[in-house]
Amino acid sequence: MSCADALSCNQRPCEIEVAGLRRSFGKTVAVDDISFNVGQGELFAFLGPNGAGKTTTINLLTGLLKPDAGEVRYHGELFDPKRLNVKQLIGVVPQHNNLDRELTAAENLLIHGRLFGMRGSKLQQRIYTCLEFADLTEKRDTPAGKLSGGMKRKLVIARALLHQPQILFLDEPTVGLDPHSRRKMWAFLRRINQEQDCTVFLTTHYIEEAEALADRVLIIDQAKLVTGGTPQELKAKVGNYVLDIYNEEDIQNEFFEQRPAAMQRLEQLDTSVRIRETTLEDVFLKLTGKRMD
Amino acid sequence: MLYGARAIYLREMLILRRKMIKTLMASAVSPALFLLAFGYGVGRGAQVGGVDYLAFLLPGLLTMSSMNQAYGIATEINISRFYFKVFEEFLLAPIKRWEIILGETCYGITKGFIPVLIIGLYSLLTGVTLKFGPLFLLALLLHLAIFALLGFIAAMIVKSHADQATINAFLITPMMFLSGTFFPVDQMPLAIRAVASIFPLTYSTQLIRATLTPGAELNAWLYLVLVAILAVLFFLAKRIVAKVEI
Repeated sequence: MSCADALSCNQRPCEIEVAGLRRSFGKTVAVDDISFNVGQGELFAFLGPNGAGKTTTINLLTGLLKPDAGEVRYHGELFDPKRLNVKQLIGVVPQHNNLDRELTAAENLLIHGRLFGMRGSKLQQRIYTCLEFADLTEKRDTPAGKLSGGMKRKLVIARALLHQPQILFLDEPTVGLDPHSRRKMWAFLRRINQEQDCTVFLTTHYIEEAEALADRVLIIDQAKLVTGGTPQELKAKVGNYVLDIYNEEDIQNEFFEQRPAAMQRLEQLDTSVRIRETTLEDVFLKLTGKRMD
Repeated sequence: MLYGARAIYLREMLILRRKMIKTLMASAVSPALFLLAFGYGVGRGAQVGGVDYLAFLLPGLLTMSSMNQAYGIATEINISRFYFKVFEEFLLAPIKRWEIILGETCYGITKGFIPVLIIGLYSLLTGVTLKFGPLFLLALLLHLAIFALLGFIAAMIVKSHADQATINAFLITPMMFLSGTFFPVDQMPLAIRAVASIFPLTYSTQLIRATLTPGAELNAWLYLVLVAILAVLFFLAKRIVAKVEI
């Protein structure tokens, strides 16, 4: 797929182009013919329920898995994991906090830096900067296994930023965090996107996370792309306003582009009704016919 | 140059440093028990191939224990791959896949030296003279590299911890007992000798024992045999690691 049309990358130069990507495990198709683009500097969310194919997609984009079909391009160049220069562009935060528990926070960063060919005072400086950025300076000499869940998560992110990647992949960055830590993590991710001048590609199954963070959202379900766009565009696709019509057994939804039309319909109904703005959960429900649990 | 291999080696050494006491103790206990059971229990006063049984046994224990340590990287890689997922960091780094083999093999070799120090100490305590010369060092390096590579390959081909235990049960344990560690292979029945001939430990035990025992006859061809095994294993490891996915 060409990226000649800059609009396909949200009016930005194209950073990642994915075309016809497919991967199966035995008879199970995990990612089925998906194509999309990510623009430079975007905060891009890949939203879908558990098992939708989000992690497989990240693993395909970062070379941890090989695709059965399709291609990935970075800055227009075909991605081949054997070409090491492309890997320098990428930072990855996996779903699990894959830290060396026995090593200190600083040692975890040291080994990462060495794996990326960094050394000497430049490496020490980056370790200091990344620990400071993640508010972990005081935990520098604490074994990673003794850090709290939120701190471990931040350390994994700091590690991924150490070699100054242009693109940061985060697989479910806030899974397992309490609501307070989750909101702090959102602020941290925004800072990364803005201050580190880094394209952020994150997967999530939390709708509010995609809604709060992302410039653009791509919805995936059962290995296939459902739809994509900015949160506003996605909501506009189904209607910006929704009526929750409470029946005896369930709640029915009706979508409206404009609020007056929704109000008019509300007045016609003699059952219990609520009017509210559309959320991405509604978009998912409308397009897939199921809730994202 | 080789920054990936050096980074992996550094990582393993930093972790080893933190568990050094446990590793030393584990390396000391098992050969001590074998020494007591076989050396002083079964083989007390016996002669094997013209030498005292203890002088026969100690080089065998050294080879077996160092093999266990070098091959033991399999379990560590396995845990880092399937449980802690740290292995992903190596796969994501801009390094050649064979550098992972190199880093881990060097770590296996380093670990394999720990029992050598312990058996050296046991030789002093038991009054058995062992000749730690350059020929021994060369044989030991080849032996450790072979078993570290075998450990690496095992860790790459298994799909779970349970698979790892199966390989240990069907490959490593028989190798320990049938490769001339405790008894000379040529005193075994023909069928056992045939099985032993396919185990690399048979050749490294023979060579290491010859280099350690003063006055023993050394078959230089065994070095070539070990080099050939090493080359084949490295080639295999390179092919396997190139295909590894998470």
